[in-house]
Amino acid sequence: MVGKARIRASLFVTCLVDQLFPRVGVGVVRALRSQGVSVDFPPDQTCCGQPLFNSGFRKEAAALARRTLKSFAHSDRVVVPSGSCASMMKVFYPDLFRDDPEWGPLARDLSGRVHEFSQFMVNVLGVTDVGAAYEGRVAYHPSCHLLRELGAVDEPVSLLNGVKGLERVELPEAGVCCGFGGGFSVKHAGISEAMLKDKVDNVVGTGARAVASCDAGCLMQIGGGLSRRGADVRAVHLAEILGGVA
Amino acid sequence: MAQGLGTPRGEFIASVRRRLGRRAGAPDSPYPALGEELASLEERGRQAMRRLQEGRGALMARMAATAELRGWRVCRAANSEEALDYLRETIQGLSARLAVRSHEEVFRETPVDDLLAGMGVRVQVMARGDDREGGFDPASADVGITGADYAIAETGTVVLVPRRGVSRLVSLLPPVHVALVRGPEVVEGLDDLYLFRRLEYHRRGGDMGSYMNFVTGPSRTADIEQTLVIGAHGPRETHMIILEG
Amino acid sequence: MAGVKMREFRRASARALADDKLQSFLGRSMGTFDGAREEAIEELSRQRWDELRERGRAIKRHTLDNLDYYLDMLCDRVSQNGGHTHFAKDSDEARRIVGEIARARGAKLAIKSKSMVSEEMELNPFLESMGVEPVETDLGEYIIQLAGEAPFHIIAPAMHKSKEDVGELFEKKGIGLPNLKEIEAMADAARVALRGKLIAADMGITGANFMVAETGTVALVTNEGNGRFCTSVPRTLVSIAGMEKIVPCLEDLAVFMRLLPRAATGQRISSYVTHVSGPRRPGDEDGPEEFHLVIVDNGRSNLLEDPDLREALYCIRCGACLNACPVYRKVGGHAYGWVYPGPIGAVVSPALAGLDKGKELPYASSLCGACKDVCPIKINIPHMLLKLRSSVAEGAERGGTKASLGERLAVKGYGWLMSRPRALSMARRLGRWMQWPVARRGLIRRAPVPPFSRWTRSRDLPALAPRPFRDLWRRELAEEE
Ligand code: SF4
Repeated sequence: MVGKARIRASLFVTCLVDQLFPRVGVGVVRALRSQGVSVDFPPDQTCCGQPLFNSGFRKEAAALARRTLKSFAHSDRVVVPSGSCASMMKVFYPDLFRDDPEWGPLARDLSGRVHEFSQFMVNVLGVTDVGAAYEGRVAYHPSCHLLRELGAVDEPVSLLNGVKGLERVELPEAGVCCGFGGGFSVKHAGISEAMLKDKVDNVVGTGARAVASCDAGCLMQIGGGLSRRGADVRAVHLAEILGGVA
Repeated sequence: MAQGLGTPRGEFIASVRRRLGRRAGAPDSPYPALGEELASLEERGRQAMRRLQEGRGALMARMAATAELRGWRVCRAANSEEALDYLRETIQGLSARLAVRSHEEVFRETPVDDLLAGMGVRVQVMARGDDREGGFDPASADVGITGADYAIAETGTVVLVPRRGVSRLVSLLPPVHVALVRGPEVVEGLDDLYLFRRLEYHRRGGDMGSYMNFVTGPSRTADIEQTLVIGAHGPRETHMIILEG
Repeated sequence: MAGVKMREFRRASARALADDKLQSFLGRSMGTFDGAREEAIEELSRQRWDELRERGRAIKRHTLDNLDYYLDMLCDRVSQNGGHTHFAKDSDEARRIVGEIARARGAKLAIKSKSMVSEEMELNPFLESMGVEPVETDLGEYIIQLAGEAPFHIIAPAMHKSKEDVGELFEKKGIGLPNLKEIEAMADAARVALRGKLIAADMGITGANFMVAETGTVALVTNEGNGRFCTSVPRTLVSIAGMEKIVPCLEDLAVFMRLLPRAATGQRISSYVTHVSGPRRPGDEDGPEEFHLVIVDNGRSNLLEDPDLREALYCIRCGACLNACPVYRKVGGHAYGWVYPGPIGAVVSPALAGLDKGKELPYASSLCGACKDVCPIKINIPHMLLKLRSSVAEGAERGGTKASLGERLAVKGYGWLMSRPRALSMARRLGRWMQWPVARRGLIRRAPVPPFSRWTRSRDLPALAPRPFRDLWRRELAEEE
């Protein structure tokens, strides 16, 4: 890093990680710092508003979005360990404020500065081997928003491939939704469970010791399904592996 | 019923316009294809013709190959003798008693009637207009024989359009359909076909006939358990004889 | 709209999930279309496929943005071909138009080739009530007509019926010999039963896959040949089409004839494409003496009017989004409660039948976006579902439907909390205290209150972590820098 200006990034940790999976946040920070990134954490951040937006409550979502826009107004780059929250900020904030003369420009501006964690590592930092190690077989579940809103097909996979000791195994029907879908998981619990069952079957079938993903929502769903079944497979966030805290 | 039933045209269209929030008139961004002059269409038609002529040999091969993939039984005939030979074999295998055919150019070069009569198959010809001596009953026929107006190599399709002496039913009612395709009728792709038909429409001052049927192999259904069954309402067996000479 | 049951999505989907026979069918069959589609696309090359999709989308966008203009052109060209165009603002009017044509021509037997719009307007019971016998001639449609059911799938209406089901149904209705076992024999029995009707019909009714404004042409894509019968044999031909089915130029069909069959069934082209440009001309040997085109709005204006929803009208009804949808794959087509199931149905049905009736459907999705991925027109269904959800939520705000009161309170509460980090941390402490009796080693196996109890029916729930990330940051991580 000598001679190069240090890359600075603000962490938007997301409400789920903050409250339920703080270790994911630790992993992100460690992984970023291992690449010489200077990380900060704007303290008044909370939730991007996605749960409200997805339920149709745009006014209420906009209030949280404005809050988030303010929190990150001065950040060079914002790193988000969640495909769906990153989509919210990159894709849906501009949509939410498209006719708003005050917040519209801010939303469009932030959109360009937001990076989902794996995309930041590979596309901004240009690394696929962060020097992490993890023993054993790992399957990768691509989260829907990361895959289809943000188009990240290869980034998480190449990062996993760069981990020493990690043997990546193909997950059958990997691209099929795990059934989380935010409010969907409880509003249509029966359907969500049926989708989850297929996912858990597929994960268990790989014989992996862990299934990695880039979204706390999927981890909550898949992890919850695995532990309920008593399967000896963990659901981990990619950042936990890369940050050496898995 | 010249007057439309239901909501008057002007009212309906005005309502659509209102819901779109649009002003009356042509689109702001014009649709290039629709603005095209006949001369330019003609020129594109000529270019396509030239391209097709230059690639004849490969085109015939592709026509035969895709047709086969789409379920036709295909014969590439160098001349009408070969075509008739193939037809003889086909009819023999069918134990047919009655054949119907349309009244078309191609049957002058490839006279099928004598052959069929010689095999004991009665032939009914879709006669011109009302002159229907000898009857015409495609519903009872064992085989229907037609020419083609075009054939599309990309899709393995025979294209039929209305003319005097051509019935829509010959290729539809009998369980077996034999189509005679002449070399120059073969076009490369859907683009060529629609271009040529569009050209005809405009050349004829805005008419391209009442219908155009694409026929690609036998009729089929997969509506029960997604299991393919060949032979639904249309023919179950289709033969394409390509006259390359 | 007597048949609208969209409100019952939750109950109907629960029924579907509990139906073992349906579940085993869905598990077995839903992948079939997918495989065929992928193969057909690979053969063409991904890149070429994507170019075609973009082209198709651009054509549809242009046409819908200027729909009034193209409707006008189409109507002129249909007249020029000697046909008649009729406009129906709703189902009621559409039914009356078709009824009036049937009455004026003294029609007694109408053969129909598959038309979703005619399902939408419940044409069959209407025709029956006026003494016209409607006969569905597509095998799948014929089966569900005999069974008195709604289509299960846009392109395979009877796919949920096993051959045993069909065998029983045919036996009950006296189609073919009793005790049919083989699919081929059943298809044959249907063909024989229908042949007489196909020849004797005095009215043909079809849908329209595409209408060409330039030439006044209706294009029909079929495999069985029934569409050809309907357009060839009866004296009177009526095509019914949603007003969005227009393309400007004849050459545009080259794009859609490549997109539709591949996306729908993985075919390179279907067995038949029938293009109808008016009634028979003098000199034609056969064909209908009269051609009527009925153009139907029936709520499509609601989609047209909203720039965020307009692209729902780009749909070419290939059904690919149904096959790809993990929710459809679990609950099947009937749970959606109306003519158009699956992801596109969740957008179109509420707009056509009324958001009030259909407000459950936009939520019948995990928003995974698989539908958009496979759509040959790249229709952004998840974004439209989000838009519709906001209309539902705003509607609830204005009108205040009771059902969403709990949800509204939860939303307000969540929004309030997430705007106040201090209150949040207090709520967190309260939550930690409340979860203490049920949390073991960081997991809650059985939460006592909804919505959490719904989660823990089949999944463990992570408990609130001992410390939130923000505390870890303050205490340890900030200093490492
Ligand atoms: S929305 Fe797209 S994928 Fe679904 S039926 Fe329509 S065209 Fe096909």
